[in-house]
Amino acid sequence: MRLAPLALALTLAVLPVMSHAQNSGLASDEQILIKQVNADKKAVIAANLGLTEEESAKFWPIYDEYERATKPYQDRLAANINNFAEKYDSLSDADAAAMLKEKMAIEDGRNALRQKYTAKIAKVLPAKKALRYAQVETRIQLMLAREIYGLIPLAR
Amino acid sequence: MKKMLIALAAVAAIGAAETTLAQSQMNPRDETEVLVSRLQADKRAVVLQAMNLSDAEVAKFAPIYDGYQADMRSLMNRGADLVNRFAANYDTMTDDAAKSLMKDFFKVRDDRNALIKRYAKKMEKALPASKVLRWVQIENKSLALLDFQAARIIPLS
Repeated sequence: MRLAPLALALTLAVLPVMSHAQNSGLASDEQILIKQVNADKKAVIAANLGLTEEESAKFWPIYDEYERATKPYQDRLAANINNFAEKYDSLSDADAAAMLKEKMAIEDGRNALRQKYTAKIAKVLPAKKALRYAQVETRIQLMLAREIYGLIPLAR
Repeated sequence: MKKMLIALAAVAAIGAAETTLAQSQMNPRDETEVLVSRLQADKRAVVLQAMNLSDAEVAKFAPIYDGYQADMRSLMNRGADLVNRFAANYDTMTDDAAKSLMKDFFKVRDDRNALIKRYAKKMEKALPASKVLRWVQIENKSLALLDFQAARIIPLS
């Protein structure tokens, strides 16, 4: 069990963002957070999966494809948060309904991607390692979600 | 392993409750029920406070929210069962068991998202959309905290 490196790497990734969060917009904070976590994510995953060379050769191309496929959703999420921040003081019901719809569409899309690529990974790795990958990926996403939700104020 | 099952069934993330439960004589299923009940009761109070609703809005919101909690309860129990299955298979995890766990994990996640979406639509008929957005934000925040706590106590396969 290599929990410490995961927690440490993510804490290190997130800490600089917290100070930055005090003097910039919500969406840019969120984008910086995602960028920093993504930069360290590969190292965290590599440290936690313990792949053989043969497994690495199969795993990383799928993982990289997954990351590329995720990017548009990250951009949409940032845009939605930015929109929320811009309209925060005068949010209309129509705005709120549209943001809610977009938020749920993004979540659906990201979940579908996670499932699709975990299934692909399970075809090239032993299922136990694929499960381990799914756990690590989930933990990283949860840490990110926790930090991002902490940055966004509740609608009035 | 029983201790592990009990602790993990406390997906619950109700921190201190784990110690008490680990010492109790209840079976994991009953303990999960108790934890889920306690968690939901606490969450209802937090959500109602955080929603900042008028009396008229509370009257519309509470019945819908209680329906949501009732439906969420079975999902939480499915989640706890999943964790227990993971714990039971942990030392001798086969490929089939791992595949089945992954499949069920994603299914619970999908069902949970679908549930939030369904109830957000119901609420939109009774409350201003900004209040519904606020509820979804609160719900997501609390679920993220619970999930994170749960993920922390579940060892990697």
